[in-house]
Amino acid sequence: MGKRRGSIKRSESLAGWAFVAPSLAVMISVVAAPLVFSLIVSFYGYTFVNPTFNVFLGFENYKNALTDPYFWNSLWVTVKFVVLVVSLEFALGFFVALMLDRVVSFKRVYYTILTLPMVMSPVAVGLIWKMLLHPDLGVLNYFLGLLGIGPVNWLADSTMAFWSVLIVDIWQQISFMILLLLAGLVSLPKEPYEAATIDGASEMQKLFYITIPLMRPVMVAAIIIRTIFAFRTYDLVYVLTRGGPGISTEVLSYFIYRKTFMGLNLAEAAATSYVLLGVVMLFVVVAFRVVYRSPHEEM
Amino acid sequence: MRKWAVVWLSLLLALGLFGVTLRVLMEDVPETHIIKALLPEFEAKTGIKVEFEIVQYSDMHAKLVPQLMSPNCQYDLLEVDNYWAGEFPAAGWLEPLDEYVKRDNFDISVYLPSMLNMVGYYNGKLYMIPMYNYAMGLIYRKDVLEDEALKKKYKEQYGRELTVPRTLEDYVQICEFIQANTDLYGSAMQAQRGDPIVMEWSNYLFTLGGDYYDDKWHARINDEIGVKATELYIRVLKNAAPPGALSFNLDDAYRVMAQGKAFSMISYNWMLPQLDDPKKSKVAGKVALEPMPGGIGLNGGWGWAIPKNSQHKEEAWEFIKWVESPDIAKRRALMGGAPTRFDVFTDEEVVKKYPWYPKVMWLAMYAKPVPEFQYSAQMIEVVGRELSLAATGEKTIKEALDTAAKELDKLAKLAGLWKK
Repeated sequence: MGKRRGSIKRSESLAGWAFVAPSLAVMISVVAAPLVFSLIVSFYGYTFVNPTFNVFLGFENYKNALTDPYFWNSLWVTVKFVVLVVSLEFALGFFVALMLDRVVSFKRVYYTILTLPMVMSPVAVGLIWKMLLHPDLGVLNYFLGLLGIGPVNWLADSTMAFWSVLIVDIWQQISFMILLLLAGLVSLPKEPYEAATIDGASEMQKLFYITIPLMRPVMVAAIIIRTIFAFRTYDLVYVLTRGGPGISTEVLSYFIYRKTFMGLNLAEAAATSYVLLGVVMLFVVVAFRVVYRSPHEEM
Repeated sequence: MRKWAVVWLSLLLALGLFGVTLRVLMEDVPETHIIKALLPEFEAKTGIKVEFEIVQYSDMHAKLVPQLMSPNCQYDLLEVDNYWAGEFPAAGWLEPLDEYVKRDNFDISVYLPSMLNMVGYYNGKLYMIPMYNYAMGLIYRKDVLEDEALKKKYKEQYGRELTVPRTLEDYVQICEFIQANTDLYGSAMQAQRGDPIVMEWSNYLFTLGGDYYDDKWHARINDEIGVKATELYIRVLKNAAPPGALSFNLDDAYRVMAQGKAFSMISYNWMLPQLDDPKKSKVAGKVALEPMPGGIGLNGGWGWAIPKNSQHKEEAWEFIKWVESPDIAKRRALMGGAPTRFDVFTDEEVVKKYPWYPKVMWLAMYAKPVPEFQYSAQMIEVVGRELSLAATGEKTIKEALDTAAKELDKLAKLAGLWKK
């Protein structure tokens, strides 16, 4: 018996591997291999002008990356951007999702409108917004002008530019939050609400004692996914500001891009990428540890 | 039946042999579209198909470098910006053209020496054939300078006539004056971080007699002239430029000018035909070109080159010979192109259509390019970042230029050019 079960198990696991193999092969070639390659590159003096592994530098590239003041600026800009964008999108998104959950008529119309910005390419979004935000020829300043508000220098002022990028990102990415949270809300069981209504709970009590605790896993998933994406924001910055004015909107991924393709220093860029990877990992791990406990654990 | 089969087969074979397609990455500028319009003639003549992939300038370098490093370049022919005219040959990515030129008696004596030095030779070897120039100069509104009320006011204020500025200080003053006294911006600037700000600012630097490096390749960008040029540049940016100028590239600046909202721009000479086209611009007929106030502007240009790892070198050379032949070069100029050859610049028909072309030749002969070496791209990157920081006031001018100089020295040493 035992022997046979073992062989069944073995053939089962073999079949399993066979099924996974194709996607695994793709994953290894497009994800793992570049990761390993860039890890190796980050220890050598590998540049585009001299693409060889002749000079072993050890941690020199990491040291250079970490002592670069512009790196710390980008890291700060990135963290500021991620925290603000994710929390604002989450707060607004949750609010809109709660409202949409109550809406009965025209649901499809709302959904369609909401998904539109999400399916647009960030580059197209950036270009459209660049025109809207144009200080002289842009529509936005025109309407503000009608209201008597002076022309806002959306993209060329070092404080304002950061907020402009933030606004555009929220405009585009908030639908993702809304749809994910809405899906969670729709799938919540109806019974607890009925029971609470019978017990005379107010709407606020229902929100805080039923909806939020039950929604926790969905909320955490939404925040984590959005955080990871927000760390990678690059296209919007590229189109809207090129990291400027000065270095006020230079997020880390754009910093790395510049190092690679303008600076041609692949090795140092790879080292910086690994630092970014470390930061993102840290964020995600902390998020999982702190927030992602199932409601049962708490009880 | 069989006879026909043989005929068809040989036809197919012939097509297969001649059916080479040259792929070229091109910048989205008028010159590219002019050449594109002429391509059917080349295809009819040689049977070689040419495919242009047209992109924005800022995407080109990032697209080209991986291709040039790979064993097979998917581009068979290149247009090389003078920014990369040091980097690409130094990295060994380009095919030397001396042999081709000698073999086919291709006449390179007709090109302006300044163009050949910039996008032709590198370390004494010919790697590129000058394709078109974009030497920069002053584009301004004639009607504004002819305005009687303005002229009177300027004379009252400064005790001088309001005329085309001949020094940088004059230019700055006139821009400030016009912005203060009309609803026009003084200068439609392109101060976006990166190459836009570097290119525009280089005109200010060169015209005052400054430079990036001295003869021994020591950075001198932070000397007195560098500081003065930057001070004047930021003065215009603050007092006489559109509010969004810090995020403008050449297209944004062009739009402001074409909408009739600015008095002038320090820009590429090929902007003039664009601004003079009533279909695209509200200021057609009112604009003119002059050399950079002070005399020396930034020279820029592109050259044709063949990548070492190209699959179709002979066909690519065939194309270069065609596109740079006297006939096609002249027709490109007549369609609004920016020539690089004496004979085209001074051609009777061309001058009749574009009376300012001799002036462009003058610009291109005296203008100076940015230093061309292995790390030009990094140099632009560093200077662009520091200038942008100085312009937003996050660093003082001296601090920003000192940082840039330090990094420029590092790059010169890395390239082995720095001499004691």
